[in-house]
Parts: sequence; structure tokens; C-alpha cells
Amino acid sequence: MTSHPLLIPTSSIQSVAWPAMPGVNGALMLAVQYQLEKSQWWGSERLLDQQMKQLAHLLRHAGKMVPYYEQHFGALGIRAESITSYEDFRKLPILKREDIQTAAKELHARQLPREHGRIIEHHTSGSTGRPIAALGTELTQFFWNVFTLREHLWHRRDFGGKLASIRTTVDDATSPGWGPATDVAYKTGPCVMLNIRHDINFQLEWLQQENPEYILSHPSNLLAMARLSLAASVRLPNLKGIRTFGEPVTSEIRAACKEAWGVSVTDVYSSEELGYIALQCPEYEHYHIQSESVLVEILNDNDQPCKPGEIGRVVITTLHNFAMPLIRYEIMDYAEAGEPCPCGRGLPVIKRIMGRQRNLVTLPDGTRHWPSFPAESWAFIAPIRQIQLVQRDMDSIEARLVTIRTLDAKETAELIAVLQKHLGYPFRITFQYMEKIDRKANFKYEDFISEISSNS
Amino acid sequence: MSASEAIVKSAIPGITWPALPPPEGAAMLAVQFQLEQSQWWSPEQLLEHQLRQLQTLLIHSYKTVPFYRERLLAAGFNPGNTLTAELFRNLPILYRRDIQTAGKLLLSTQLPPDHGKIYSGKTSGSTGRPIQYSGTELAQFWWRTMTLREHLWHQRDFAGKLAIIRVNVRSGEYENWGSPAATVFQTGGSVTLDIGTDLNIQLAWLKKHNPDYLLSYPSNVLALANACISKGIRLENLREVRTIGEALNPELRSACREAWGAPVTDTYSANEVGYIAFQCPGHEHYHIQSETMFVEILNDQGATCQPGETGRIVLTPLLNYAMPLIRYEIMDYAEAGTACPCGRGLPVIRRILGRQRNLIHLPDGSQHWPSTGYNNWMGIAPIEQIQLVQKSLHDVEARLVMPRPLTPDEQKRMVPILQKSLGYAFQISFSYHHELCRNASGKFEDFISEAGKNTSIHPDKNNSNSP
Repeated sequence: MTSHPLLIPTSSIQSVAWPAMPGVNGALMLAVQYQLEKSQWWGSERLLDQQMKQLAHLLRHAGKMVPYYEQHFGALGIRAESITSYEDFRKLPILKREDIQTAAKELHARQLPREHGRIIEHHTSGSTGRPIAALGTELTQFFWNVFTLREHLWHRRDFGGKLASIRTTVDDATSPGWGPATDVAYKTGPCVMLNIRHDINFQLEWLQQENPEYILSHPSNLLAMARLSLAASVRLPNLKGIRTFGEPVTSEIRAACKEAWGVSVTDVYSSEELGYIALQCPEYEHYHIQSESVLVEILNDNDQPCKPGEIGRVVITTLHNFAMPLIRYEIMDYAEAGEPCPCGRGLPVIKRIMGRQRNLVTLPDGTRHWPSFPAESWAFIAPIRQIQLVQRDMDSIEARLVTIRTLDAKETAELIAVLQKHLGYPFRITFQYMEKIDRKANFKYEDFISEISSNS
Repeated sequence: MSASEAIVKSAIPGITWPALPPPEGAAMLAVQFQLEQSQWWSPEQLLEHQLRQLQTLLIHSYKTVPFYRERLLAAGFNPGNTLTAELFRNLPILYRRDIQTAGKLLLSTQLPPDHGKIYSGKTSGSTGRPIQYSGTELAQFWWRTMTLREHLWHQRDFAGKLAIIRVNVRSGEYENWGSPAATVFQTGGSVTLDIGTDLNIQLAWLKKHNPDYLLSYPSNVLALANACISKGIRLENLREVRTIGEALNPELRSACREAWGAPVTDTYSANEVGYIAFQCPGHEHYHIQSETMFVEILNDQGATCQPGETGRIVLTPLLNYAMPLIRYEIMDYAEAGTACPCGRGLPVIRRILGRQRNLIHLPDGSQHWPSTGYNNWMGIAPIEQIQLVQKSLHDVEARLVMPRPLTPDEQKRMVPILQKSLGYAFQISFSYHHELCRNASGKFEDFISEAGKNTSIHPDKNNSNSP
């Protein structure tokens, strides 16, 4: 029915406050929300039908304008125009992360409609420490914002509240609004930001001072803070909800946040190169695939769609990225397929996501923080295909690498300097070359492992 | 495919879903997004937001509309204070004759530029009392936006064919439904026919086009339905009849069911104010369109009618800043309803007693819904109210309320205009009255036919923007 009973957008016409007449960009944002409000209730067949129609545009573009697909479709004798059904679509080959690493610019469109806007480059190590460079457009950025706003609306957030964001890629700062996704259409409270590299004791003090209504951060960072909060009996009286992203949320994390602060955790499943993949249901703890943006397949070992209860590899196709179409891209996460949701939404259900897990790093002075070592800082130093860091003790880190060749002295020195800088301490770093780096028994991939006892 | 599954038109190459519509379409959907939410608000929440918007309108009127300045002050309005419902209800009623007298004094001398260009029109309203009105491009945007809400409420399949029989249209065949539906959605085709067309020709036209939806005036639809019943004509594709512009008789609903198996959906609107109420998607009563209109139903003491009580309708359009109408008595009566079981908080009108119009009979045996040509003769003489009575196949009496009789010259100018509008060179006579009354059922008949067995109707209260 409604997403938020008394949420009134910002009007661009002063004398008409309600119903508001948003500006051009705000109107476009709400025009898409209007469609999403309807499509979320469609049946799965109707959703798939509409996805295939949108996909037809993308496939035609990829077959004509993207060298990688031009060659691969050609070699396989596939004509993009002839792919009209889901069955046809499923015959297309899987695109692996290493294919992206190898293909590089062959995956970039030679040309794209100018209405899709400027090209935006992302670097990401994803869930398994395998760095790739991905392109998006202003249009895919717009859709990112669309689904950010949908997530707020689904979870009926009070836009008047203060949002505290503790994450990578932010400076310690305050902004008057929550960000472009909300600000384009609504007036919100402020957003206060803190970089996640700060010690968690400091983070908690900062949160007490800021006393926000909402917190956004990574699950393992929140777990550490919730435990600290419990131990020190710290309360955050205004807190209404916690939003997590970037790592799997365990029931332990949900329980700790409930116990420490009396609030629920709402998780999203997203990636830089794909945008939003699934959002937590407004009524349950499982996830709804964002079918209006991505076509998600969960495949078993025989490449067949998993049945509810089965766990398989997540394979994703973006519907709107014409700069670097990712078609049947295996993101290297595992997920459990879910039953249709009792909430009535037709958007397919993911029961559980097994993605990346990260421990906190402990510095010799006893402080701890969530380690950030973004791909764009190290991926270009050498042909590194995969990375995993293991903290052995207070001052040494083992860097496990999958590479095409051994790093030379200059590359080694450069990589050490970058890792030390990002981890916040001049750790002694040793390298271990591996054929491959495996997941844990629970399918999760740990890209930063700490063997220091207080951490795991 | 129902409206909730309809696909929005996209302006971006390669992107069809979710669509990124062009600015006008996006603006309309951005408003629909809000209307989808506000329809479920409680009456108190709706009133709170209406009062805020009313306050802005009153301040604008106080500052820029000469007619209102003293009038508002005298009623205790203070632009610095928060407007309450009590204070608002103390403001004087604006009568139709006030509008006739005030003329340009009702126009804003300083319209905010973002309301767009001003347009003007003339209307006879429900009681044959012609007035001139002005609106803005912004007000027209709202008209279109609310039209779209009405389509969406009734889950129309935009892929269907729409047939329109009304005033102010040229007969034609079109690729789509026109604005606003086709601004936003991919639609099927539409066909239009002037309401002045003989009934038998209308019938043949409908058979030929076999539409999914028919839009017309109740009395015209009733005549069509009765003709179909007596001649055994079915319109196989017809899914719904939409009516505008006249008070709806219950017999129309049963006639449409009998003739075509189609339900009737009615809207209540007026040229000078826009949409007032739409039929509920789940019931036959109406929901006031509170997001754009403040509606009062008042009893003889000027107090708000309780559910079940019938009273005068008093309107304040919230978004017309060119010619604000504050507590305007439109001269219709309505019965206040109880809260709707559908859950919408938009207040309920159970019944509307508005204008009714008979079909006109021409000497060649044809009959059609008469258009009375106000637009053309309004400037000729100070006519306050008019009612036309067809006395025989050749004679029409024009009953007038005015401060003095027409001069011979005015009569000479009026007659050919009336003859042209009515579609025949009737012998026209004039009579003068203090007041022209409603019929026993509370409806005002602006065209009465004593010339034959007739079906009743009500006139052109709709805007040409709204197929």
C-alpha cells in the first residue's frame, strides 16, 4: 500500500507545497518509484517477461557495440536478436571474474546512447579479493540512487532523523542531507560520516556524541561496536534502525544490535559493479531480488536453477549498464534460494547470502578497526588476480596472492607500502603465492583473517 | 493488462523498464506517487495539509487579488496567523453572481511565474448562470494529473480503444488516448464524435468502432443504452462507460448493464474549478479529491452536513492562483456520505444533485444532446441565468434572469447564435424571471424538452483536456 504515510517530497514551486511538484530530477526519481511500487507486486512470470524485454535492448547493444560479446556471440553462432526467451538466454556462457580480468577493455562498449550520460569507472575486489575494473554510466548511477531510495521507503525511515555513516571512502564530515538518492526528492535530516579506519572505541564515543536515528556500516564493524556497547553499557537513545551492507549479516549480529541498542538490522546485498542486487524484505529477514535492475540466477553445480532451500552460485545480468554490459556474470558469492515471500511481493527471494567476511585488524596499541584495502590502490601495481590478508600476530601480516607471475622487487615494495598505509600501521608483510584461495566450509570468503584471539 | 501493470513510456534509448519518462510524464507520475499515499491518509491528516495549502492561497489572494483584500480582513483573516478550519469556515461564501459582478477584480495582479500562462473560459455551470473564469498552465497540469488518477483508480486497460462523445471535440480517429494517458503510458487508439450528432448516427459509429471504453454525458448514454436495448444492439468489447458533466440517475447504471453488461463510472467536475470528486474504485459513491479541492457540504444554517444530510456544495480549488475561488458556491447539492469501507480517507459524497439536460428533437425526427453556446453569446447582454425550453418541434423559449430585458438589438444578435448551437432555425421567444428553480428531484434542468418523449440529461461541465 503506502511506503511512508506522511512523506511529502520537496516542491520546486513555492506556492504549491502539497502535493509537491518536485524539480525535473526529483520527478524522474519519483516517477520510477511509482513504477517500482507497482512492479514489486507483479507475479514472477510478469517480472521475467518484462526483464526479457529490457534485456533484448541490452543484448542487441552488446552484440553490436561490445567487442567481447561480438566475438563470443559470433564464435558460438548466437545472434543477440534471436534471444527472446529465458531458455535462450540461459544458453549464453557464464562470464567469470577472471574473464573480466582478461577481457579488460574488450568489455567496454565502443559507443553508447548519449542519454546514458558520462562513463564512470569503478574498481572493486568484490567478495573474493579478485580485483576488476568496471564501467558504469550516469544512468546506472541514477538507478543506484533509485534503489537506495526504494530501500529507505520499504523500511519506512523517518527522513527527519540523523544518519550516521561509518564506512570506507568517506571523510570525517557532516552533510545537510542523507545523500543524492533522498535529497533529490525529499528534505532529510543531516548525515554525519566517519571513516571506518577509526578505532572502534573512538567510533562508539562518536556515535554517543552524534546520537543518530540511523547507522549505516559493515556488519563486522557493528558487531564489534555492539559488543563494546554492551560491555560498557552505552545506549544510543535516538537510534531507530541499523543498515548494513558489504558483508553477510549473521543472526549473531542481529541479536547483538537488538541487545545493545534495541533496534533491528536491515541488510542490503549490493556490489559496486552491479548496483543493488537484493534488499531485505520490509517484513522478513530474507532478501528480495531487485528484478527491475538485475536478472539474478542461483545455479547449482550442474548450472541448473536452485530450488528453494538449495545453495548455489550467484550469476547476475545487469539490465541497464550499456557501458560495460555484464551478462551472466558469476559474482563469486553463494546464496540460498528462498520460497515466495508471504509479504506478497513477486520479487524472488534469497534466503541467505554467503559473501565476503572480514575480521577487524588489531594494531599493536590495542586499537581495532575494520580493515580497508581498496582494489584501486593495489590492483594496478602488478597482475594480481586474487588477494587474502591474514594477520598472524600484532605486527605481521601474510598476504596470500594469486598472480600470473611472481612480483618483482619494485612491485613488492610498492604493494607493501600501500597495504601498510591502508591498514594504518607499518606491519611486517610477507607474501605467499597460491594457486587458488578457497572459501570456508560455510561458503563465505574471508578476505581479511585475523588470528589474534580477541577477533574471530 | 490493468493499469497497475501498464508500461510507462521511456524517453531514454535502450531503457524500456523501469521507464524514464520525459519531464511532463515524470511530473505526473511523481504526483501519482504522492496521491497513492495520500488517499489512505486519515481525514484529519488530509485536513491538516489542506489548511497549509489554503493558507498559502489565502495569503496570495489577500496580497494580489483586489476582490479579496477587504473581504478577508473583514472576516478576521490575518496573513501572519496559522489558518484554522474554524477561521476558514467563517470566510464569506462566494456566489456565482459575485463572480458575475466582480469581473476582473477576481484576477490576481501578480501571479507567481512558475504557475505558467493564464487561460480563460466561460461556463454556464449547473444552473444556467454563466461566468467567466481563468486558470493557469499549472492548474491544467493538475487537471490532467487528476484525470490520470481516475484512470488508475479504475484500473483501465490502456491498450483498449476509447470512444468519446462530447462537446468541444472534432470527430476523428486517433492513434492513442491523447493527454494525459498517452503522455505517460502506451495506449490503444481513440475515436471522438461531437455530441451534437444524431443518436442513430452515434449508434452506428459505436457499432463500427466497437470500443472498450465509452465516455459521454449521462443523458446521452441513457438514450444510447435504451436504443441498444430496443434494437438488440450489443457492443461486444465495451467494458466500462465513463460519464461526466451531469447528475447521474440510478436508472443509467441498470440501463448500461442491461444494454452492454458494462458498469458506469462517474466523475464530478466543473470547468471553473476542475475535478471535485471521483467515483470510488469499489463503490458507486464518490471520493472528494482533497489533494486539489477543499469541499464543504453545508446545510441551510451554513453548518457542515452530517452523513445522510443533503446540502449546498461550496468549493475552494487549492491550486488556481490566477483567479482564486474561495468558498465558491457552485449551485449543486450533494448528500454527505459516511467513511468508505475501501479505506481511503478522502471524504465521501453519496449523491450529487447537479444539472440535468434533455435531448433536443429536430423536425426531421433526429435527436441529440443540445449544446447551448454560452461561449458565443455571453458577452452580448448581462444575463445572470438561462433555461431553454423546447415547446414544440419548431419553438424554443429562452427563460432569462437579468436586471433588464434584452434590447431589440441584443435579441437580434442572440437568436442566430442560439439557433446555430441548437442545430435548427427554431422560433426563439424570450421570457424574464426573478429566479429559475430546480426540479422536484433537486436537479437544475438547463434544457427542458416538452416536444416529445425524452430522456433527461446535464451539460458541459467538463474540460476539453480530459478524455
